[in-house]
Amino acid sequence: MPNVSIDGVEYEVAEGRTILQAIDDLGLLMNGVDIPHYCWHPKLSIDGSCRLCQVEVEGFPKLQIACNTPVKDGMVVRTQTESVQRAREGVMELLLVNHPLDCPICDQAGECKLQDYAFEYGLSHARTEEPRRALKKRYDIGPTILLDQERCILCRRCVRFCREVPETSELAVFARGDRSTIDVHPGVELDNDYSMNVADICPVGALTTKDFRFKVRVWFLDDVPGVCTGCSNGCNIHLGVASNKVYRYVPRRNDEVNETWICDEGRLSYKAIGAPDRLDASELRHADGRVETVRRDQAITLAAAKLRSLIATQGAGALAGIASAHATNEDLFTFRRLLDALGIESRACPVPTGRSDALLIKAEKAANAAGARALGFGDPAPVLDRLRGGGLEGAIVLGHDLLGPLGPDVSRLGSLDTVILIDTHHSELERVADVVFPARHAAEKLGTLTNHAGRVQRVQPALEPPFEAYAEGEILTRLGEALALPGFEADWDPRAVSKRMAQEVRAFAGCDVDSVGDSGKPMPGGSA
Amino acid sequence: MLTVPYVTSYLSEHFGDDAFRTLEGYRARGGYQAAKKALTEMSPEDVVELVKTAGLQGRGGAGFSTGLKWSFMPKETDKPKYLACNADESEPGSFKDRILLERGPHQMLEGILIAAWATGAEKTFVYVRGEYAYPARCLQQAIDEAEAAGILGANVMGTGFRHDVVLMRGAGAYICGEETGLLESLEGKKGQPRKKPPFPAQYGAFGMPTTVNNVETFCHVPHILTRGADWFRGFGTEKSPGTTIFGVSGHVVRPGLYELPLGTRLDEIVFEHAGGVPDGRKVKGVIPGGMSMPVLPASMLDVPMANESLRERKTMLGTGGIMVMDETTCMVRAACVITYFFRDESCGQCTQCREGTGWMNRIVERIERGAGTHEDLEVLLDVCGKMEGQTICAFADAAAWPVQGLLRHFREDFEEHVRRQKCPFPDSFEL
Repeated sequence: MPNVSIDGVEYEVAEGRTILQAIDDLGLLMNGVDIPHYCWHPKLSIDGSCRLCQVEVEGFPKLQIACNTPVKDGMVVRTQTESVQRAREGVMELLLVNHPLDCPICDQAGECKLQDYAFEYGLSHARTEEPRRALKKRYDIGPTILLDQERCILCRRCVRFCREVPETSELAVFARGDRSTIDVHPGVELDNDYSMNVADICPVGALTTKDFRFKVRVWFLDDVPGVCTGCSNGCNIHLGVASNKVYRYVPRRNDEVNETWICDEGRLSYKAIGAPDRLDASELRHADGRVETVRRDQAITLAAAKLRSLIATQGAGALAGIASAHATNEDLFTFRRLLDALGIESRACPVPTGRSDALLIKAEKAANAAGARALGFGDPAPVLDRLRGGGLEGAIVLGHDLLGPLGPDVSRLGSLDTVILIDTHHSELERVADVVFPARHAAEKLGTLTNHAGRVQRVQPALEPPFEAYAEGEILTRLGEALALPGFEADWDPRAVSKRMAQEVRAFAGCDVDSVGDSGKPMPGGSA
Repeated sequence: MLTVPYVTSYLSEHFGDDAFRTLEGYRARGGYQAAKKALTEMSPEDVVELVKTAGLQGRGGAGFSTGLKWSFMPKETDKPKYLACNADESEPGSFKDRILLERGPHQMLEGILIAAWATGAEKTFVYVRGEYAYPARCLQQAIDEAEAAGILGANVMGTGFRHDVVLMRGAGAYICGEETGLLESLEGKKGQPRKKPPFPAQYGAFGMPTTVNNVETFCHVPHILTRGADWFRGFGTEKSPGTTIFGVSGHVVRPGLYELPLGTRLDEIVFEHAGGVPDGRKVKGVIPGGMSMPVLPASMLDVPMANESLRERKTMLGTGGIMVMDETTCMVRAACVITYFFRDESCGQCTQCREGTGWMNRIVERIERGAGTHEDLEVLLDVCGKMEGQTICAFADAAAWPVQGLLRHFREDFEEHVRRQKCPFPDSFEL
């Protein structure tokens, strides 16, 4: 392993890396070792064209670009010398020669690398007199993205992204010299499953998503680390939250999971959080079909009573527990404990499926299918057979993913004695449920989710639901308490539940909500 | 039409002879004996060593040691190795490669064969400037003849060595004369220089080890093989041996090509060979090596045309394209032409080049219009400094150097424009 000195500090770095890569590997890039850069991106091929990352390397007469200069044992690199500062100043001045400087009306302002670096490394005045380039603005290049060619600094990250990640190559640089522009190929739209990532990697306001544009100024947003719940890949994200509202998901780097990307579908799945079809109150369905909105505790009391009488008359064997692959491990661990205490053995977890690809998109369209399996909620087929064939009189159901495999047989569910539903969104299942509880979305609670590869990842409350809603685990705990089951007396504390799960369930050993940290941890036994 | 250099030496000795263009005529004058000798009597290492000893420098502009360049090609590799012949000749003021292709295509092919043997290359791509339709036709004819005669192909002259030559036509960009821009264009991509590393000797055409040499560079090689390093060193200076073909253009009585030893004095070329400036006017400035090289004022023309001596005057030999400007010339207009060219031709990858070329052009055009300020001159030099030595290829240097040269020697022209707020050279060429 080569030793490299950077600004007088010795580092051991990996063989075959460039200076910038090596600093990034060490986690020091712009985090201890400041080498501003535009065209270089950790997950794209090296371009070497913006020339901002020039550094002094002993033995070279000229400055070298850190992004493309391979490390060598004994290399001495200086990143903060006068000549480096001069070069950065030069690049910044030249980048701004044709930039419109329209920050006040640019939606990138506040998270713009041109703004940041101009402030940090640039000159405070312009020496140009001539008019700047006039090019296409608010240019619609596809279903998700608008392009402003004037703001573009031609780092070509977007071009390389489309070529190298989704391998769709919609974008290219057209013309040359200072007439160069980014554009889609004639007759082509920027339209692929990952198109909106170009807005994340665009260092300036040239590429913006139609979805987020002008919704909120970014400096009002809190970035809360979390996990996308669109599929079982569990892409790491930041939830952009302001005034108790999620405005966007942006990918959060995790080289073990999603590198720096997220699919468009997952990115837009934040809309489910504030969707108008959120279940926002506990409901009781009377025998005459009338639905009554009640307080949670009233619903708990009634649900407990129904369960108690059903078990007393038919036995626990007449009941089934249907888990949701959207609930957290902590919710499902609590569900498991409740079912154990009640003696209900019939358990399952339906997992919605869909399209997948070789990149990030997984067929299982739920964030915690692997966690559900690890906690004993498996294939729903046997339970569905019992439901269709008789012998089932009651069910505690989390979520509405049962609707898919059940199909038209949903009416069978209506004929059961007792159906208790805990769900985040309205669905057809409500019409057959006796008691309905509104649940929290993964963005509204603390807990862990297990992705397809068995990686346990943390979610945490990014906002408070503006209505009465609880984690599934909390409702189940209160239900257990109402049923006077032992061990359900305490207040709902997902952190304590998580620790207990990590102790009691071997698959989760060492994977409680605190231990997994922000970037997750693989389950000791791997994928379930 | 100009077909034969005014002054000739070994390279262009037979260029007046139409038969020299044919395989038969070339062979009758000893053609392909040098290649035969290399392939049958010499090891590749011997050839590289000989060319190194002869001191041949690349004639494409950078003047790098040809033998040394060949030695960079990997010996142990499973990959096929290639040569690329740079016949893009895109530097304004240069027109020597054209005549070498038209009048001596076999001479170049023989040089290519020897270089191929020395480097172990199995194929040469000749990248010919798009506008060179006729030279390309001449070369293709020669390739066809050589293939038919077994001089190129699967079994070169019966030695078992394989070498094919493929002619590619460019589509007209200056930057495709830069060796990695050439390789990109050769591969069918946009002509943009590649970042280094990797260097072409590791990762060249289609990702294979490749050496790129200029047309004229190849043409010298058979002569070195035939007559030896000492003979070659008999021409030129100690550091810059051999002849080169100077192209003289601009305000001279006899514009044209002159094959002369390196180290020939610039004033000798301009005044004796090219006949000086017509109508008794005086020389104002001379660009010694193609448009990207800094200009020399009339007082500095006593310089030997070799890199070591030109460097002392802060300019370089480049491609040997000598452009003469007489006393009527407005140097700000010259700067307008030069900066416009580089602005138009910058590939646009690197920030400094893309934005700097345009900025310089806007400033000099403003000065020429009579709207310049003294501060503009400082900004110009500052922009040059920000472009120089900081980009993927030498294009930004090539764009900055001539502006620096004009400001170094003809600053008074610029200042006069600023003072009078108009162009003080009514008789100068028009933009």
